[in-house]
Amino acid sequence: MDAHAASPPDNAPDLWHYGHDGNDPMAMKTLGFWLYMISDALIFGGIFAAYGVLDQPMGFYTGPTAAQIVHPGAAFLQTITILSSVLAYSLATVAMKTGNKNGVMLGIAASILLALMFLGLELNDFATLFAQHATPQTSGFLSVFFLLIATHGLHMIFGVLWMLVMLIQVPRFGLNTDVVTRLLNLRLFWQFQASVWVCVYIFVYLRGAS
Amino acid sequence: MFKVLRLAAGLAALAALPGCASSFAMFHPVGPVATSEFHFLLISTGVMMIIIVPTTVMTCLFAIRYRKSANAAYDPSFSHSLLLELAMWGVPLMIVLVLAYCTYRSVFLVNPAAPEALGSPQAQNALGSGVKGAAGAPAPFEVDVITTDWQWIFVYPKQGIATIDDLVIPAGQNVQLQLTSVSVTNDIYIPGALPMIDVMPGMRTLDSFRVDKTAGMEGFSADFSGDGFSWMQFSTRIMSPPDFGNWVKQTQAAPDHLTYARFQQVARPTINEGAKPHYFSGVPSDLFTTVYNATRAGVDYPVPEDVQTKAPFPSPTTGKQGDVKASS
Amino acid sequence: MFVHLQGPWSPLFGRLTLDSIPYGNPIIQFAFAVTVLGGLAAVGPMLYYRKTGYIFREWLTTVDHKKIGVMYIIFGLVMMFRGFFDGFMIRTQQVMADGPNSPGILEAQHGYLPPSHFDQIYSSHGTLMILFAVTPILTGLGNIIVPLQIGARDMAFPTMNAISLYLTIVGGMLIMASLFIGDFSQAGWVGLIPLTELDFSPSAGVDYWMWAIQISSIGTTLNAINIITTIIGMRAPGMRWDRLPIFTWTTLSTSIIGLTAFPILGVALALLGADRYLGTHFYTAGLGGNLMLYTDLFWIWGHPEVYFLVLPAFGILSEVIPTFSEKPLFGYITMVAATFAIAGISWAVWLHHFFTMGAGPWVNSFFSVATMLVGIPTGVKVFNWILTMYRGRITYTTPMLWSVSALILLLVGGLTGVMLANPAINYTVHNSVFVVAHFHCMVLLIAFTIFAAIIYWFPKIFGFMLDEKSGLRFFQTFTIGTTLTFTAMFALGFMGETRRLDYLFNPQWQPLLIVEEIGIAFYCLSVFYFAKLFYMSIRDRALNKAGPDPWGTARTLEWLTHSPVPFYNFAVTPRVHQLDELAWRKSQGIDHEMPDHYEDIHMPRNTIVPLAIGVFAFAFGFGMVWRIWWMAGFGLLAIIATVIFRSFTPDHGYIITAEDIARMEGRPPSGIVNDTHAPLPAMEEKVTP
Repeated sequence: MDAHAASPPDNAPDLWHYGHDGNDPMAMKTLGFWLYMISDALIFGGIFAAYGVLDQPMGFYTGPTAAQIVHPGAAFLQTITILSSVLAYSLATVAMKTGNKNGVMLGIAASILLALMFLGLELNDFATLFAQHATPQTSGFLSVFFLLIATHGLHMIFGVLWMLVMLIQVPRFGLNTDVVTRLLNLRLFWQFQASVWVCVYIFVYLRGAS
Repeated sequence: MFKVLRLAAGLAALAALPGCASSFAMFHPVGPVATSEFHFLLISTGVMMIIIVPTTVMTCLFAIRYRKSANAAYDPSFSHSLLLELAMWGVPLMIVLVLAYCTYRSVFLVNPAAPEALGSPQAQNALGSGVKGAAGAPAPFEVDVITTDWQWIFVYPKQGIATIDDLVIPAGQNVQLQLTSVSVTNDIYIPGALPMIDVMPGMRTLDSFRVDKTAGMEGFSADFSGDGFSWMQFSTRIMSPPDFGNWVKQTQAAPDHLTYARFQQVARPTINEGAKPHYFSGVPSDLFTTVYNATRAGVDYPVPEDVQTKAPFPSPTTGKQGDVKASS
Repeated sequence: MFVHLQGPWSPLFGRLTLDSIPYGNPIIQFAFAVTVLGGLAAVGPMLYYRKTGYIFREWLTTVDHKKIGVMYIIFGLVMMFRGFFDGFMIRTQQVMADGPNSPGILEAQHGYLPPSHFDQIYSSHGTLMILFAVTPILTGLGNIIVPLQIGARDMAFPTMNAISLYLTIVGGMLIMASLFIGDFSQAGWVGLIPLTELDFSPSAGVDYWMWAIQISSIGTTLNAINIITTIIGMRAPGMRWDRLPIFTWTTLSTSIIGLTAFPILGVALALLGADRYLGTHFYTAGLGGNLMLYTDLFWIWGHPEVYFLVLPAFGILSEVIPTFSEKPLFGYITMVAATFAIAGISWAVWLHHFFTMGAGPWVNSFFSVATMLVGIPTGVKVFNWILTMYRGRITYTTPMLWSVSALILLLVGGLTGVMLANPAINYTVHNSVFVVAHFHCMVLLIAFTIFAAIIYWFPKIFGFMLDEKSGLRFFQTFTIGTTLTFTAMFALGFMGETRRLDYLFNPQWQPLLIVEEIGIAFYCLSVFYFAKLFYMSIRDRALNKAGPDPWGTARTLEWLTHSPVPFYNFAVTPRVHQLDELAWRKSQGIDHEMPDHYEDIHMPRNTIVPLAIGVFAFAFGFGMVWRIWWMAGFGLLAIIATVIFRSFTPDHGYIITAEDIARMEGRPPSGIVNDTHAPLPAMEEKVTP
C-alpha cells in the first residue's frame, strides 16, 4: 500500500473530511436518553398488560376487587402533586435557559418536596390497604396492583435521587454542557413519570372505581 | 467436495431409518381428527415444495455454475430488477394466501375443544348435554383427566371409576376430555390419535377425538413437568363397546376408592416407573371440579428439594418406598 | 419471610451452606477440573509473561469498540464451547437411556445422568447458546464492524459500551457459578411456568437463571441504545441512509428489536421474581394467578428475540456473498425493506410458540397467518442472495462455504417453520424433536454465519489471515455433524419422540439416536479443528499478513482502514460518495489515495468504571440468588454510587496530535494487540514523510 501522500488531481472527488467532527454530544446523549425512555415505556407497557390480564374475576379470587380498594379522590390529590412537581421542575429549566442558577436550584428543590409528598401519600395509601389485609400476597390482582404503583414509585425515587445529585452539580460545575444535558434529560424522565402516573390514574383508579 | 460429503451423510442418515413403518405413528393416523391433521401436513408440505424445490435447485445450480473457475457469464451490473422483485414478493404471497386458507379450514376441523372433523358445531354435543347429534351420533364419551407430578389420572365421571396411567375408551364413539393439573403444566399427546392440548393447573382445557377401530397406543406428556417427566407415559386402549362395558364392570369392583382424601395421597410427587396402572372405583362424579377448585384455592403439592437424590416418595398405590435403582 | 424456603437461611450467608457445593458428583468434579485448567491456560501465560498490567490497562479498562467487540466474541466462543459440551452430554445420555432395559450408571436409573442433572444441562444448553454465546458474538461483531462501516471513530457511548460487555459477562459468570455452587434451573431455557415457582423448583437454580438473564439483558438494552445512537448520529459525511452498508442496516433493525423487546422479558422475569421472593400470585395456579401471563409475556419477547439473533446473520450473509461473488448485493432497497418487515411482523407472531395452549381457532388462525407472512420477506432475502450469486464470479473461500451452507439450512428451517406455523400440524408435533430440529436449523445457520463472519473479518482486526486448510476441515466436520444429527432428529420427530426426555421409553428410536451420536462425534472433531485453526494461524501469523483488503474483492468502508485497524480507526474521516464506497473507489482507481495532511483527534479515555460495575453487578446477582441481602444491597448501592461518582468526573478524553498520527500512519500498523492508547514513545526507525 502506498504510504506516500499524493496530491489528488484537480477534478478528483473530495475523499476526506477535515474540520471538527459533526457529533454534538448533547444531541447524542439526548437521543440516547430518548431511546432509554422507549425501553422504559415498554416496561410499563408490559406491566399494564399484566394488569389487564389480572384485573378480572379470576384474578381477584377471594380478595378485593379494584372498586373496593381504589380511592380516586385521594389519588387525584396525588395526581395534582406530581403534576405540580413537574411544573416546578419545568420552571427550573426556564430559569436554566436564562442562566439563573438560583432559580434552577429552587425549582429542583420544590420539585423534590412535591415528589416526596407524592410518595408519602402513596405509602400512606399502601399502609391503609395493608391494615385491611389487602397485601400483594392476597391475590393475583393485588399483586399486579401493588407492583404497577410500586414500579412507578421506584422510578420517582430514582428521579429524586437524580435531582439531589443535580442540586450538588449545579453550584459546583455551573451550567456547563454536561450539567445542562443532564437537566434536560431529567426533565424528560420526570415528565414521562407524570405521564405514566396519569395512565395509572385513568386505568387503575378511575376505571377501577367504576 | 463438501457437497458430496454432505449428500453422503444425508443418505447415511436416511439409510438408518428403521424399516418398521408403524413406528412413524404420525404417518398412520387413526380417527378422523388425526387423519385430518395428517392430511394438512401433506398439503402444507406439498404447497411449500412449490417454492422450496426450485429455490434449492437454483441455489445449488448457481453455486456450482458461477464459480470463478467455471468461466461462466459475469455481469456485475445485474443488481436490481423490478420484475424479479415483484415475482419474489408476489409468488410467496400467493402461496401464503393458499396456506392461510388451509390453516383457516384446518384449525376448525381439528380444534381440540370441538373439532369439526367429528361433526359440525351444531351436530356436536356440548359437554354433558346428552343431546344427540344431527347425524344420530351418540353423546360424546366423557373422561376427566387430572395430571399430577408425575402420573395421569383418568376419571370416568359417569361410570364412577378412575385409572392411573391407563386410558381406556370405546371404539367408534366421540370422546371428549376435560383436563386439568394439580401441579404444573403438562401436554397430552397420543401420536397419531389426538390433537395435543396443554393441561394446566387452575385451568380447564378440552380435547376431542375418536378412534374407529380397536387399538393399543402409547400416550405421554409433551410439556416438561419436572424430574419424573420422562416416566409420564400412559397406555391408551381402544376396545370394542362390549369389551369396554366388561372392563367398566370389572373396574367398578376395584377395592380402592378414589375419594378426594385418597386423591390427595395419590397426588403427592412420585415417579411411576414403567407406568404401572392402578384402578379405582367409587369415584365421585364431581372429583374434577373439587380438584380444580382446590387448585384455584392454592392447594398444590410442592416438590421436595431432595426428591431427586433420595428415593421417590413411597408409592401411594402400593405404600412401598421406591428404590432409585429398582428395575422398571 | 414472605415465602416458604425449603432449607436453611441465615442473615450472613443467606441460603448458602456447605451442602450447596456438590463435592461428590463426579461429573461436576470433571467440569471443575476442565474449568480450572482452562482458566490456568488463559491466566497462566499472562502471569508468566508479566502481562497483567498490560491486560488491565489495555483490555480490562478499555472503551475501544474493537477491543470490546473482541472480548464479546472470545467470551461468546467460550460459552459456546460449554454449551456445545452440554449438548454432547444430552445426546450421549439419550442414546444410552433408550428403552426400559437400558443400563444406568453413576446415580442414574438409565444412562449416566439422573433427571435432576439432565434437566439442568439442557436448560443451561439453551440459555448459554442463545443468550451467552450467539448474542455476545453477534453483539461483538456489530460493535467492531458498524463504527468502521459508517466511518466513525468509536461508538456514541464508549464507556456504556464496556458496561454492556461486563453485564453480559456477569450473567455468564453466574451460570458458571451455578455449576459449582448450588445448581442451575431445571425448567428449560424458557423457564416453564409454573414449574419455575418456588413450590416446584425449591432450589436456587431458577434464581441463577433468572438473575443471569436479567443482568445480561440490561447490558443488551444499553448496547441497543448505543448502536442506534451511533448509527443515527455518527455517520461519516456523505453516508446517507441509502448508502448505509447492509450489515449496518440489519444491526440497526436488530437493535430496535433489542431496545423494545428486552424490557418485556424484564417484566416477565420480574413478576416471576416477585412470586419467588415476595410470595405474590402473578403466575401461581391458585389465588388469582394466571400462568398463561408468563407464557405470553415471555414469548412476546421470545419471538422478536429470535429475529434479534437472525437479522445480524442475514446481514453477514449480505456482506459475505457479494464480496465473494464479486457483484453488488442484488436488490439493496428491498433487502432493507425486508429487514424491517421481518422486524415489524415479528411482533405479531408470538403465540405460535404455544398453539396448544388452547387459545381457540380464531386466535390460532391469526397468529398462524402472521407467522407465514413473516416468511415472505425472509424468502425475498434468499432470492436476493441467490441472484447475487447469479452471473457472479464465486470464489469458495471458507466464509463463502459457510454462507452457501447457511442458505441451505435456511431453506430447510424455513420449510419446517411454515409447516409448524399451521396449528393443525403443530398439534401433532408441538414439543417434539421435530420442533427442536427446526429451531436448531435456524440457530445453526446463525452459527454458520458467525463462523463466516469471524473468518471474514479476522484479518481486518488482527492483521493476518486464518489458515484456510484447518478452516476447511472445521467447516467439513461441522457440516457433516449438522447434517447427520438434525436429519435424524427430524425423522425422530415424526416418530413421536418428544423433547427434554432424560429417559426414552421407545427402543425403536435407537438407530436414529445412534446416527445423532455419530453426528456429535463429528462436532467433537470440529472442535479440535477449530482449536487447530487458531493455533496454526497464530503460530504462522508472520507468514500470512493481511493488507487493508486481504480478500481482494471487498466493497465496504471498513476495508479502507489498515489491517489491523489502528485504535483511532480512520486517520481522517472519509467522505462517502456511493453505496459500497470502497467498490466505487476501486472502480475509480482511487482506493489507495491517502490523506495529504492530518488533524488532531479526540479519543475517549480508558476507565475502570465498567469493570467496577461488573464486579458490583456480580455481587448483586450472587447475593440475590442466595438471598444474601447485605451482599445484594451492597452491590446495588455500589453500582448507583459508581454511576453518580462517574458523573462528577469530567471525562474529556485525550488528544492525539496530528504529528503522532502522521508517525503512526507512516509505519507498519501495530494493531489491536500491540498498540496502546497513550501517546507513542520516540520511534527508532526513520519515517519517510
